[in-house]
Amino acid sequence: MNERVARLRQKSMDTDATISTERAVLITEFHKQTREFSAPVRRALAFKYLMENKTICISDEELIVGERGQAPKATPTYPELCCHSLQDLDILDSREKVSFRVSNNVRKVYREDIISFWQGRSMRDIIFQNVEKEWRAAYDAGIYTEFMEQRAPGHTVLDDKIYHKGFLDFKAEIEKNLQSLDFLNDHEAYQKKEELKAMSICADAIIRFAERHAEKAQEMAQRESDVKRKKELEKIAGVCRHVPRHAPRDFWEALQAYWFVHLGVITELNTWDSFSPGHLDRHLYPFYKKGLEDGTLTREQAKELLQCLWVKFNNHPAPPKVGVTAAESGTYADFAAIDLGGVKPDGSDGVNEVTYLILDVIEEMKLIQPSSNIQLSKKSPDRFLKRACEIIRQGWGQPSIFNVDLIVDELIRQGKSVEDARSGGTSGCVETGCFGKEAYILTGYFNLPKVLEIALNNGVDPHTGLKIGLETGDATQFESYEELFDAFMRQLNHFVDLKAKGNNIIERLYAIYMPTPFLSILTDDCIRRGKDYHDGGARYNSTYIMGVGIGTLTDSLAAIKYHVFDEKTMNMKDLLQALKDNFAAQEKTRLMLWNNTPKYGNDDDYADNLLKASFDAFYDAINGRRNTRGGFYRVNYLSTTCHVYFGSVTGATADGRRASEPLSEGVSPVQGADRQGPTSVIKSVAKMDQVRTGGALLNQKFTPMLLEGDDGLQDLAHLVRSYFKLDGHHIQFNVVSAETLRAAQASPEKYRDLIVRVAGYSDYFCDLTKSLQDEIIARTEHKSF
Amino acid sequence: MEEIEKDIIFYDESKGGVTFSGGEPLMQPDFLTEMLQSCKEKDIHTAVETCGLVKSEDLARIEPYVDLFLYDLKIIDGAKHRQLAGASNRTILMNLRELSQSHDEIIIRFPLIPGINDEGEDVLQIRTFISSLRNVQEIHILPYHKGGIEKYRRLGKEYRLPGIQPPSDQKLSQIEDIFRRVGLRVKIGG
Repeated sequence: MNERVARLRQKSMDTDATISTERAVLITEFHKQTREFSAPVRRALAFKYLMENKTICISDEELIVGERGQAPKATPTYPELCCHSLQDLDILDSREKVSFRVSNNVRKVYREDIISFWQGRSMRDIIFQNVEKEWRAAYDAGIYTEFMEQRAPGHTVLDDKIYHKGFLDFKAEIEKNLQSLDFLNDHEAYQKKEELKAMSICADAIIRFAERHAEKAQEMAQRESDVKRKKELEKIAGVCRHVPRHAPRDFWEALQAYWFVHLGVITELNTWDSFSPGHLDRHLYPFYKKGLEDGTLTREQAKELLQCLWVKFNNHPAPPKVGVTAAESGTYADFAAIDLGGVKPDGSDGVNEVTYLILDVIEEMKLIQPSSNIQLSKKSPDRFLKRACEIIRQGWGQPSIFNVDLIVDELIRQGKSVEDARSGGTSGCVETGCFGKEAYILTGYFNLPKVLEIALNNGVDPHTGLKIGLETGDATQFESYEELFDAFMRQLNHFVDLKAKGNNIIERLYAIYMPTPFLSILTDDCIRRGKDYHDGGARYNSTYIMGVGIGTLTDSLAAIKYHVFDEKTMNMKDLLQALKDNFAAQEKTRLMLWNNTPKYGNDDDYADNLLKASFDAFYDAINGRRNTRGGFYRVNYLSTTCHVYFGSVTGATADGRRASEPLSEGVSPVQGADRQGPTSVIKSVAKMDQVRTGGALLNQKFTPMLLEGDDGLQDLAHLVRSYFKLDGHHIQFNVVSAETLRAAQASPEKYRDLIVRVAGYSDYFCDLTKSLQDEIIARTEHKSF
Repeated sequence: MEEIEKDIIFYDESKGGVTFSGGEPLMQPDFLTEMLQSCKEKDIHTAVETCGLVKSEDLARIEPYVDLFLYDLKIIDGAKHRQLAGASNRTILMNLRELSQSHDEIIIRFPLIPGINDEGEDVLQIRTFISSLRNVQEIHILPYHKGGIEKYRRLGKEYRLPGIQPPSDQKLSQIEDIFRRVGLRVKIGG
């Protein structure tokens, strides 16, 4: 990277995250002075108020401009969704990891103006007022989490539309649809009118926001004495006057247009997984090619601009949470995803020169944000995979690797058109979606081993003694494994029912109270349908529930089937007692369960068949249920860091795991239970019919030595291709030795910049909680293929 | 065989296959022959790693089912070999010569141990011997490493190569050159 980029990058890394009240103050002001409007128009006017009044920040040397806060890393809050208490702010400020500085002034503003206004009115309060008691009991027990209680659904990716159209074009489309509303026959015509009006207001607002940057840049240019910078500021002013009002004309304008749109989405609401550019290489390629051809752009300039955009992503930490979850450190990463390669809508290979350019950028920038991945197809050239493997081998977990052929199949299976499927990809951790056309909303993690625990205890949560499940029978009386599994399935369906009922309420609450007209402009077919993103306006509407701990569940079932029913090495009563006692004074029993039981991850059908049965049970309980937005419920398997939280509320399990220890992560085998090398892991995991999911996350850990040299690189590439031949969805690698990780735990100050793969994202090792650090160390480290 | 078949997907993808190694796989010639036959029936690439100190009729028996031989060659000098390996290398060299008459794919594996067989003379003799064979084009140099020390300790066995350091990179590339000069393909490690 050049000196400018190096300085910008360093500054971004050195700047502390802070809590900014600007957004909270503006949104509160707006709500205090506003008169009654329909919800979409009210939200649009609030957005406009923010865009017209928030501080405009243009930092030294930068080329791509715009910040969500008034300065880099100044992180706004969203009190209309969830309002931080003073105690929350203290926790954010004082917690050891992933902290946010909170000034006394921020506390004062919160105490005097924000909390009193939003208490009882925020979405979080409204949600908890509206869900059932049983829902709450299962939620408190840690059966599932709820994404929407703190952050807005969002969770989506942009397609190519902003590279062809400006917001004046979108406004014209909105106007056309407004004109054609049929108030005589369409009983929803009025709602559509309000929604379309709201979109139009948002289009004006984002144009104004860009103009304000142009004005600021112009003003700075006039005062600037450095001739070079003066010229740059004038150029920035020109770019901001043109985009996103009009479609971008060159590479620079394309990047700036994206960034304004990105800021719009993450300022309108605190959308899950930020917002993502998706197939950036594909979208930028025409501008790159044109620039190179007409001599207005060089590869180096393109790289510098991309790197300036990378710094922008890094300037924007994930908005911090409230309540109990604030005490857990979480991560600064906000999961904005960049998908490289893949296939084009016509099915041809999507890799181009910009793909390789962006891979260079990823390698040089080495930042946890944005998150990058490659979409590998059987048509992708080996050079593409090899280049990605070279970066992966460096050990910081990026880019991750996805099987785009399977992803297209997953989307088609869900009923999407083949072209839309090919324009899709993955975002967040591993979630599949049609970019620019789908609201694929994650609703929460689901604790599979906990459901087994409830089944083994006849509906009671042994952690609290509360009865939260069904009475499915006294487990000591079960005469066959099938009886036990049947009890598990009944509990599973019960809790999925509760979860879905809750979701259906929450979806409606967002549709009614919290429309998102700006994001709706960007998502087909919201304009055409005159419907909001939160209300089924998107062409496709999926609702995901994420299974967590399927490895722990499988191994626990295998242990019970093997020891209690097949081999009869122990009876159910003794086993339940051992679990209840957390194996106290029964280490021998624990070691027998841990060592002498068939385990998932070793290509052993005894265990793997139970994995398939568990997978089917979860799939059958969820897939195909209707949500309230005209779409369907789907499953996927990812855990982010939730396997640690779920582990903390789950007692000892029959696979020999002690109480409170983390569950298995993603679809990965239990940490340390896979003992036959990576090829066996891949074979086991691929027995799961992943085409029926919307994503399944597999992490593997290698010693750096194994991947040395050309041979190591080839072996890694072959492993990936083999897994994908078997229809695996995603694989990612940690290439760092346990020794290094332990050293980093002991002397964090020496390992500040050590980045590792956590789950579907990378993070600074020293920013992780101790339990998560331990969990990563415990993962099996493969020393040979 | 079931275990072998589990990995067919990986053999296909990486153009790899099964390597029968040891100890000395030809210590169990019947089982080995049977396994090799089954692999060939399933179209799985086969490799056999041998020290060569085996009956020539056993070697001949498995040969039709072996795609690739990985043949260990430690020292050419008979007396020195007897002294260090505890047996004559006559059979080893004879078997190799015979095998190379009929078999195309043979890779020589040369364990390089500093102070034992890394001097010019030993290396040159190996090169001369290989050059005299009909059809051997590749050699893998396996540099001595200390991985065994801990293993011996855990097994409670005496480790008889104390104090030897792995060869330097410079030394390795010198030896690599010696083989390259006669047109052999050389790989360090294997």
